[in-house]
Amino acid sequence: MPADAEATPDNEDWSHAIAAVAAHRDRAAFARLFAHFAPLTKSLMRRSGLPESTADELAQETLLLVWRKASLFDPATAGASAWIFTIARNVRISAHRRGLAGALAELPDVDASFQPDDSPGPETRVATAQAGRRVRAALAKLSDAQRRVLELSFFEEKAHGDIARILQIPLGTVKSRARLAMSRMRELLDEFS
Amino acid sequence: MTIRHHPPADLLTSYAAGTLDLGDHIAVATHLSACPRCQAMAAALEHVGGAVLTGLPPMPMTDGALARVTARLDEPDRHSDHGNKDRAHPGHQDLGRTNRAPLDGVPGLPGFMRRYMAAPWIWVAPGVRMRPIQLPAASDSRVFLLQSRPRTKMLEHTHTGTELTCVLTGGFRHAAGDFGPGDFDWGDAEVRHDVTVAPSETCLCLVAMRGEVRLRGFWGALIQPFIRL
Repeated sequence: MPADAEATPDNEDWSHAIAAVAAHRDRAAFARLFAHFAPLTKSLMRRSGLPESTADELAQETLLLVWRKASLFDPATAGASAWIFTIARNVRISAHRRGLAGALAELPDVDASFQPDDSPGPETRVATAQAGRRVRAALAKLSDAQRRVLELSFFEEKAHGDIARILQIPLGTVKSRARLAMSRMRELLDEFS
Repeated sequence: MTIRHHPPADLLTSYAAGTLDLGDHIAVATHLSACPRCQAMAAALEHVGGAVLTGLPPMPMTDGALARVTARLDEPDRHSDHGNKDRAHPGHQDLGRTNRAPLDGVPGLPGFMRRYMAAPWIWVAPGVRMRPIQLPAASDSRVFLLQSRPRTKMLEHTHTGTELTCVLTGGFRHAAGDFGPGDFDWGDAEVRHDVTVAPSETCLCLVAMRGEVRLRGFWGALIQPFIRL
């Protein structure tokens, strides 16, 4: 799974599909996005411990939001899969809080809680567009082993001990790889800025 | 403003993955609103999230899932107007209806917290007071503002759980260095804190705390029952 897949023609196509949804409310493009991303999103929801029916519903909810928010997608900043990941993440958090608070509770906007600033000005937007390119370049420079540890650490239940078992490497190696991957990313991001 | 102390890597990863407890999320988000470097890192980690998503084995959707979603595409978006934005959140832990006030106006907090409600200030120790924040959903942490007068020397203490702190104004010093606005500090049961507040300015921090504070030494043990943290 190359993390720089954002730059491949296949993923460029997903950005175009989102752009087509935004510009023309293109239902055929939406159906393609659904066919590709809904089963992946369902898989993500299952990994976070949700039952299959809930995972299915939340994947539908995520894709519905892709349709509604398409005009907010900025290919220069996000990359299609990273953008859809953040929508799925926020849908999951929101569903979790709804479950805890009861269906009738009025819930705060999860999206807003991931915005470092309420109203990004033009300078911020340019900065994030550059950040998007930097990130892709930085991720491409990580070793496969470092990237794998970083990706596995995205699952709540995957403590470093579990990752060690999956990759069949010692726990100490997992920890040092995770640390290395993060500090390498920081260096690369600092370098580009 | 130079930020010298950042959240540890695993906290930033969990933040981007969306698996942080709400209290911890708030502490990290407060640091992020002051730190472009960690913002870039969090954005980078969202790209890792995208790679994680596309690398998963796809799970077939239930029959008719696309048709059900397609049927809803023309529905008005009930969430898009964010009608609840300007209203106060119904709190999860009810701090009492009276005397609560929104946090609007507290410097250094991320935008989404301006609508959170907080209880009045409570005396903690000489020179130190705290203001509990009402969270919109359940959390394992208590989140509060902690204000200390210049030169306050906090009693040497440890924690029974983790404590995440982000400086909003002023600063403090302990064995790990000097902490100023935007700096992020964390402690757990193994870290001994011996904190002195900077001499020039009142120190205001946002704190997310699990468990409780334990004071050390003879005097600490004597006054522990009176310290309200």
